[in-house]
Amino acid sequence: MTVSDVVDRLGLTVLTGSVGVEGAVSGGIVGDLLSYVLGTGAPDQIWITVQHHANVVAVAKVVGLAAVLLADGRTPDEAVLARAKSDGVVLLQSDETAFELSGRLHRLLTE
Amino acid sequence: MSPRLIVNASRARRIDLIAVTDHNSAAMTTAVAEAAAEAGLAFLYGMELQTREEVHLLAYFDDCEACAALSRAVYELLPDRPNEPAYFGDQVCVDIDETILRSEPKLLVNSLDLGFDEAVRLVRSHGGLPVPAHVDRETYGLIAQLGFVPEGLVFDLVEVVSGVLPDGFGSAVAVCSSDAHDPSQIGRRTTVFEMNDCTVDEMVRAARGVGGRSVACCPGEWRMK
Repeated sequence: MTVSDVVDRLGLTVLTGSVGVEGAVSGGIVGDLLSYVLGTGAPDQIWITVQHHANVVAVAKVVGLAAVLLADGRTPDEAVLARAKSDGVVLLQSDETAFELSGRLHRLLTE
Repeated sequence: MSPRLIVNASRARRIDLIAVTDHNSAAMTTAVAEAAAEAGLAFLYGMELQTREEVHLLAYFDDCEACAALSRAVYELLPDRPNEPAYFGDQVCVDIDETILRSEPKLLVNSLDLGFDEAVRLVRSHGGLPVPAHVDRETYGLIAQLGFVPEGLVFDLVEVVSGVLPDGFGSAVAVCSSDAHDPSQIGRRTTVFEMNDCTVDEMVRAARGVGGRSVACCPGEWRMK
């Protein structure tokens, strides 16, 4: 399962272009505390969150996440988008809630 | 952000009193204190704690050793996650001449294993003044992270970015600081204290309006002429 497959199956929007969308997805992590993701996150997970500031990109990069999925239609500003693109971090977006997205992603990865 | 550069930038912008409040560490305060003393600039020791809930709390001290003791206590509450210099910088500690003394191996930009209430108590138990940082900011501010101001906590000073203190802080007074992460940011926000000396006790008296002392925020961006 790649990021691109997840995007298609869950109807997500890709905010950062095509870089990284063929990356593998091995799991997910949900939460809005960056320190939690730093401590518990693992490579190739998709991180579902409502946080969209610059530090989110740094955390995604450090942990080696497959992508960050912004729930509730959260939209990062231009500076954060630019940072994500230059760091090769995939930012995805959906209007659905984190709860909905977690359930659907979990089902997708475990079916 | 070397010690003399911080001091010189502060003096150039006509700042009379500075504090250094690094993230979860007071390791650099002694070198900046030395540079400040050299230049006749008043100095307070300090740190900025990041709690489990990702709230930022400033701590100010008159006394070097008391601040250092809090720094040691905080270090034990930092997770063992190592720093990654490529993403977070080298976390170097330098002396007044910018000689690198060491690099901190643990990631400092992390949350302590400490709740907000506990963090306030920890600062006070070490003799420091706890000041919630940038409470009106979306990221790492008390209100954004906890939803609202918790009951039962009393502060004399609360730091804001906007200059306006949000509801819920009782009789506390707003302060503004540069929160400079870069020399160009030094002096971008300041506070004018009318007080008799540059100490934490005098800041508290000013917050309480004792004997005509006062506190006034200057939240506006400082501009280069």
